[in-house]
Amino acid sequence: MRFSARVLLAALVCVAVALGAFAQAPFAGKTVTVLVGNPPGGGYDRLARVLARHLGRHLPGSPTVVVQNMPGAAGIVAANHLYNVARPDGLTLGLFNQNMVFGQLLGVEGLRVDMRRWQWIGSLTRETDVFAVRAELPYRHILDLRRADPPVAVGATAPGSGSYDFPLVLKAFLRLNLRIVSGYPGRSDIMLAIERKELDGVAGSWSSMTSFAQRGLVRVLVKTPSDNPDLGSVPSDVDLVAEPTAKAVLQLHAVPNRIGRPLVAPPGAPAELVRLYREAFRRLAEDAAFRQEAERLGFEVVYTPGEACLRIVEEVLASPPAVVRVFKSFFRFGE
Amino acid sequence: MVEALLEGLVRVLEPNVLTYMLLGVFLGFWVGILPGLGGTVTLALMLPFVYGMEPVQAFAFLLGMHSVVATTGDLTSILFGIPGEGISAALVLDGHAMAKKGEAGRALGANLMSSLIGALVGAAALAAAIPVVRPLVLTFGAPELFLLAVMGIAFIASLSGRGARGLARGVAAGALGLLVSSVGQDPQAGILRYTFGQLYLWGGIDLVPAVVGLFAIPEILDLMVRRTSIATTMPAGRLTGVWDGVKDCFRHLGLTLRCSLIGTFIGIMPGLGGGVAQWVSYGHAVQSARTAEERARFGQGDVRGLLGPSAANNSKEGGALIPTVAFGVPGSSAMAVLLGGFFLTGLVPGPDMLSRHLPVTYSMVWTLVLANVVTVALCFPLLPYLARLTTIRATRLVPFLMLLVFLGAYTANNSWGDVLAAVAFGALGYAMVSFGWPRAPLVLGLVLGDIAERYLWISVARYGWDWLGRPAVVVLMALTVAVLVVPLLQEWRERRSGAVLREAAHAE
Repeated sequence: MRFSARVLLAALVCVAVALGAFAQAPFAGKTVTVLVGNPPGGGYDRLARVLARHLGRHLPGSPTVVVQNMPGAAGIVAANHLYNVARPDGLTLGLFNQNMVFGQLLGVEGLRVDMRRWQWIGSLTRETDVFAVRAELPYRHILDLRRADPPVAVGATAPGSGSYDFPLVLKAFLRLNLRIVSGYPGRSDIMLAIERKELDGVAGSWSSMTSFAQRGLVRVLVKTPSDNPDLGSVPSDVDLVAEPTAKAVLQLHAVPNRIGRPLVAPPGAPAELVRLYREAFRRLAEDAAFRQEAERLGFEVVYTPGEACLRIVEEVLASPPAVVRVFKSFFRFGE
Repeated sequence: MVEALLEGLVRVLEPNVLTYMLLGVFLGFWVGILPGLGGTVTLALMLPFVYGMEPVQAFAFLLGMHSVVATTGDLTSILFGIPGEGISAALVLDGHAMAKKGEAGRALGANLMSSLIGALVGAAALAAAIPVVRPLVLTFGAPELFLLAVMGIAFIASLSGRGARGLARGVAAGALGLLVSSVGQDPQAGILRYTFGQLYLWGGIDLVPAVVGLFAIPEILDLMVRRTSIATTMPAGRLTGVWDGVKDCFRHLGLTLRCSLIGTFIGIMPGLGGGVAQWVSYGHAVQSARTAEERARFGQGDVRGLLGPSAANNSKEGGALIPTVAFGVPGSSAMAVLLGGFFLTGLVPGPDMLSRHLPVTYSMVWTLVLANVVTVALCFPLLPYLARLTTIRATRLVPFLMLLVFLGAYTANNSWGDVLAAVAFGALGYAMVSFGWPRAPLVLGLVLGDIAERYLWISVARYGWDWLGRPAVVVLMALTVAVLVVPLLQEWRERRSGAVLREAAHAE
């Protein structure tokens, strides 16, 4: 009995080695480039670099994975490059603005990409958008802001950014008394303006606001639909409206959060490599070292398979025209 | 507090921490020298390696690397007129002019010494400011930041040439800079301005290709035409003079210290950005000249035009740490990467860093000090060799410089648009030099235009007209008027005394 177990083990090792050698071929000695549509220093860049460190381990042949930043036009420059110019050899992948599907929905000039034709590898992180006010203000519930007097000053970077669109749509559908002050250079400048009481409120991803909420600077009042346990007691915007078009528009707005921050391969990339990438992503989602590092950097690690990303994108682009019309009146495509 | 200060020092001096710092210094040295390979990118590349380090080790490594980049980036500005980093461009004006006069050694010596003084002042200011950091930063809201930008723009008056004609040209160049800064998607309504259907222009004109084009390309063209080496004259046949530069630094110690403080202050203000500090201190250095004639010598290789920006360039690093550490809001993209370092090592930036983790904060101060001392000590022996580069014949040097220029322009964003922009600004820069128009006001307008526009909008949107009455705003307005009026007054007084002299001569 013991002997046969040993034989079995040896046989298994042989098979594994043989399989390993066979599977090693596609990536051995290669370099995989992750093209990021944002400059170094931001959330996308940080995520790409964590991925780059851990992805290679899960690909047969352990390739080197490097990050290349190609910022410009809210990620369109990088997306156009990967879709139309870069060699589709499966060794260049893209990590772009998660809102890009809206660029196509709204018909943004200059975007030469069909989002449905990317080969979606999947996403490992998820974001929840939240709206928060300075904690010392007397508002406990989001609907208290209907009676806010003077109006609550909300900081934003620019139209087309989440910091601008989300308050705009909350103001319209929940009839909140908000005043959006746009033009801050970045999220951090907005947080500082809140600290010095220049601003009262801010919208953004939960990960970018966690530390400020934890130290009691801001109080989160509303979120996009999400089952993030940290935000269990916070109402979601979709539940607060009854009118069907408004509900549909808010749901559409939350779509990028459902997609997460996905990696894509260009349409012509070899299907076999894409399959291996998807496999690696699935395993990466359970990789303790990756999870720990990503969570330390403030990411919520949730795996969304590539097929699911594609389905969501198709769903968005098939939205009824009436919803798109209302959506268009609130949202622009930008950073 | 003193206890924390000492504890911070002890922690940095631990052998394993010191090793990481030296490693960072070594990496930063090369990154700074190579144009295009920016400090931020390198920080982002190195960030994953701090995973698992102790906070003090991690920051010794990252800050050690970061603080060196500002110093060695200056070297290429001075030697070749090619800014090694976007933040080193102001040194091209007088630093490179000195190299052309054969004073490269002196320029490099002055640069290193003032960089060191700047870094020390910045670190000292950081250490001293820690108890008052929060009120200080919180006093400066959008209206005050707007006025700071306006004050910076007002330096155009002193950066312009002499006389009404010089002033008109300076103002026109500054206005052009402001116009260029408005290119791109505007931050208030999302309107695309002057983008001509080009995606490249959505994000506006990047500073790096603009300054590389404006300053480096005319230098290279000039070198090609002259067909000599960079240094055309060699004083007494020798090129070193490193010590002369060091002495210059102490001869103008007041200026160096003032510019260090300017740099620290601008560094503290999040939202002003790294490019501002050196140009404002350049403006201040020019303004500190007593007579208009003295002022005219700036741009021709006056050592003061080098001391100011290089001191400010290093001192601002200490300042920029303050908002990152105390509020968790990074003052620059490099600091944003550093913020990632906080999270990776399990520290939460914010008020805790000024109380519970004070020794860690002070260890950052000490890292800035030590890294700069080490860099300067390492660089000094190299300077005479570096200075000798300016004696290489143009025909050998130009291809290499061309490579550096286009590499520098391209790698800032990996964009071919930037290369074209650099060429366009190169043509503009060459024309401006040929026809005697000043380039510094243009850059000042470009750097500050965006900031001024944003904060003016925010001030009005948030406060209506009330912002005009804020005490700090009134003080800054008075300073702005002073910045504008002083050079005009100077000139007027000189002209009058000149007229008196002529009358006296006439009477005889």
